Amino acid sequence: MVYVLFLSVFLIAACGLIYELIAGALASYLLGDSVLQFSTIIGSYLFAMGIGSYLSRFITRGLVSRFITIELMVGLLGGFSSSILFLAFTYTNGFRFLLYGMVLLIGILVGLEIPLLMRILKERFELRELVANVLTLDYLGALGASLLFPLLLVPKLGLVRSALLFGLLNAAVALWSTFIFRAHLGNVVAQRTASFLVVGLLIGGMMFASDITDTADASLYADDVIFARTTPYQRLVVTRWKDDYRLYLNGHLQFSSRDEYRYHESLVHPGLASLPGAKRALVLGGGDGLAVREMLKYPGLESITLVDLDPEMTRQFSTHPLLKGMNAGALSDPRVKIVNEDAFPWLERSDEIFDFVVVDFPDPNNYSLGKLYTSAFYRLLRQHLSAGGLIAVQSTSPMFARQSYWCIVETIKAGGFQTYPYHTYVPSFGEWGFVLGALREWTPPETLPAGLRFLNQATLRALFEFPPDLGPVPVEVNRLNDQVLVRYYDQEWREITR
Amino acid sequence: MKLSRRALAPALLGLSLKGAPRIEGSFALENVDQGHLLRDRAALVRPRETQRTRVVIVGGGVAGLSAAWWMERHGFRDFVLLEMENEAGGNARGGRNEVSAYPWAAHYVPVPDESATLVRELFTELGLLRDGEWEERWLCHSPKERLFIHGRWEEGIEPHSALTPEERRQMERFAGRMAEFRETGRFTVPMERGFARSTAAERQLDQMTMGEWMRREGLTGAPVRWLADYSTRDDYGTRVDDISAWAGIHYFASRQSEEKGPLTWPEGNAWVTQRLSAKLRTFVRNNSMVFRVERAGTRWQVFTEARRYDAECVVWAAPTWLASWVVEPAPPRWLMDTAPWLVSNLTLERWPRDKGHPPAWDNVIYRSPSLGYVIATHQNVGRRQERTMWTHYWALADGRGADQRRILLGGDWNYWSERVLADLERAHPDIRQCVSRIDIFRIAHAMPRPLPGVIFDERRLARLRPRDGFAYANCDLSALSLFEEAQWRGVEAARYALERVGR
Repeated sequence: MVYVLFLSVFLIAACGLIYELIAGALASYLLGDSVLQFSTIIGSYLFAMGIGSYLSRFITRGLVSRFITIELMVGLLGGFSSSILFLAFTYTNGFRFLLYGMVLLIGILVGLEIPLLMRILKERFELRELVANVLTLDYLGALGASLLFPLLLVPKLGLVRSALLFGLLNAAVALWSTFIFRAHLGNVVAQRTASFLVVGLLIGGMMFASDITDTADASLYADDVIFARTTPYQRLVVTRWKDDYRLYLNGHLQFSSRDEYRYHESLVHPGLASLPGAKRALVLGGGDGLAVREMLKYPGLESITLVDLDPEMTRQFSTHPLLKGMNAGALSDPRVKIVNEDAFPWLERSDEIFDFVVVDFPDPNNYSLGKLYTSAFYRLLRQHLSAGGLIAVQSTSPMFARQSYWCIVETIKAGGFQTYPYHTYVPSFGEWGFVLGALREWTPPETLPAGLRFLNQATLRALFEFPPDLGPVPVEVNRLNDQVLVRYYDQEWREITR
Repeated sequence: MKLSRRALAPALLGLSLKGAPRIEGSFALENVDQGHLLRDRAALVRPRETQRTRVVIVGGGVAGLSAAWWMERHGFRDFVLLEMENEAGGNARGGRNEVSAYPWAAHYVPVPDESATLVRELFTELGLLRDGEWEERWLCHSPKERLFIHGRWEEGIEPHSALTPEERRQMERFAGRMAEFRETGRFTVPMERGFARSTAAERQLDQMTMGEWMRREGLTGAPVRWLADYSTRDDYGTRVDDISAWAGIHYFASRQSEEKGPLTWPEGNAWVTQRLSAKLRTFVRNNSMVFRVERAGTRWQVFTEARRYDAECVVWAAPTWLASWVVEPAPPRWLMDTAPWLVSNLTLERWPRDKGHPPAWDNVIYRSPSLGYVIATHQNVGRRQERTMWTHYWALADGRGADQRRILLGGDWNYWSERVLADLERAHPDIRQCVSRIDIFRIAHAMPRPLPGVIFDERRLARLRPRDGFAYANCDLSALSLFEEAQWRGVEAARYALERVGR
């Protein structure tokens, strides 16, 4: 009997510490900066425990019954804490609010536990003995938890299941308390039923735990995830490492804030700077607004139409403080019109004509995306181009996917363009390729907009030079009815990543 | 499992989303009763009104529309086309719902080679062929075909993995033999071109079944037999052990293997027939069932319920067998049996789970009694949508057409939709969770079944020769249910009619 009581103390202590560790780990995993996260979480948690201890003085009657209720509440809240927080991070904007709210609530409840238990036990033990035993076990429980957490729980169970498991322990303490303190309880049946219910809920949670963690990018990204959204079209994740922010779409790197200017300056300026009369521009893909940011450096442009499938992507990059900072608020410029549609069917329906078109789609790693790199697509694009107009196409890496790159060049040619292939070194990507497509002979621009960080006359000329190891290779044209590009691309990247 | 917002709430409550949703649907385009009026020679009201016209085309399928197209193209306008359904198109009709357009039967045309001048002429007119280049938009997109075999999807329709060395040798030998037949240049589309030069050995092929010929050639392995059987069911609605070897070989030997085609559209060949009927709408009379065609002196009287047409010339583009019930004096019974088909259009709310190669245009399940399914949304250029339309094809090929028709018409919608789902379940265990609607077209006489002997039969050859201003035009004359064949037959009949009326 005595041993069971002291086991309860040990377990309660372990559970209390585990919830604190889980909140800290989750916050530093999702928000980054683990020192800050752990300090503020531990601080808030200890402070909340203090509140709980203070509040315990107001509980005067029905101690055992209250204790059981508190155990069940801790079990539920703590048990589901990491599930709720993971889902809140993915689906809501209120993650921080919820995080500290839960830390405070759990802390207060945990702060109530030990004072109440000591008062319950005070009739059975001498005070000297009681304080010594309870506090010893309390600290022992904390030791056990802090060793178990990094060595066994996180690697084997993960944050979601660990929390649920310890929630179950709290509920178990409540359940056996209904037996041990039977005599002190008014309504044993109600308390016992409630205990079974909580145990059931937590076991149910364990069964769904894998679904919850699947959405939560467990260990996918090396850097800290600071923003994540699942839209009907893709999963957006922004990571941070020091001052380097990176956007991933479905796990594929889109840009790194440290060197994206090299990519976007190269994508936009060689073409657009050579069209001083350009009035109307189109961006296909590129919902991050970074290409638009570069295009807004041309006061002569009257309108920029951005066609990106995903409304959530363009919304986040128009409104989220961090994300819109990256494109300098480009998507809110009055000259910019956002169209959230599928590019190929949109072009088939539209009759608009543009002077400059940026084609910035994800790499052609499946047949669906491959359609956006076919001769049929470029032929259609040609019908939307003014006579002196240009298209600039992101065309994967001529280094890692040399056949794919030259296949895109050949396909643009087959679509009726004169092609001007060029490439840029972007550290986070490697050597990256682009193609300019023109309906007439193209001559490089004589001036560039002010304030560029990468391009000047000298670097511009160099972009069009291909060293022998990046030079043309014999390839076929990518057609809707024969998507050779998806095969080239698959093969080439597989060789690299093996 | 990816967790969507919609699935989340019930998932957290511990509810699962199992339990198949209700599937709606019905039979479509059914016109069995009208057909039976003809069979029973019911006393239909003779119309009062008479219209003189020089040529009447009976039947608005590809053959009839092509005859009309040819006449109009050559400046002849004094003709009508009588179609018994409420729209022309015949076996090349299609439908449309909020998800996609979809075919009701024929759904592709192989890319016509240089020698197929008529098809190229029509397709140039329809904008499919420009400066010698095919419109890429309507060439079948990648990936084209896949086969469900050994529990997963593989690229291509021919079984090629996990074959024994002997099975592999047989597959190669079969392909080699077909290439030899192709080399002779006597297996052609239109059939007439090469057929006229047939040798005694080729006549001999028509005297045995394809199965027999394969046994003689030592082609007895399961994969090669399956491939041949799949193909003869697909093109003739006939099993490999029933079909004339000449016809079976024609399937493989009449065409170059196609890498760049075929041409296909979400609504199938209705894309072509709808454009043709629109061009020819002043000549086409829908809802005009011809119940009698009588010879009167040198002229022909063609009766519909609304009108009697008094014409110099009749182009019979309806099924050839039907003439024995309608034309007076009645021609002898047509010698070819016909196969019934079941075409089901399935509306899917989401894509089922899939193992192996991604969904292709044509999706075939190894050793299934059906012919698999074609994805109507495959030719869309947008991103893959959540919802899609699949057209499931099933030739009821196990024996005599009449017996199979009894089975076809005997099963109600519940029976057939269940059979279709059970068939798809072989490859997609969760198909019932995805389908919301199944619309089924029971085609009682879908295509001719060339059993041994019919190809070189004198009675078939006799029908090819027009007489007294009456020309047969349906592609069942050639035992080939193919767009190019129907077009060629229609144009041949139109040429005869034009000559007959002195144009």
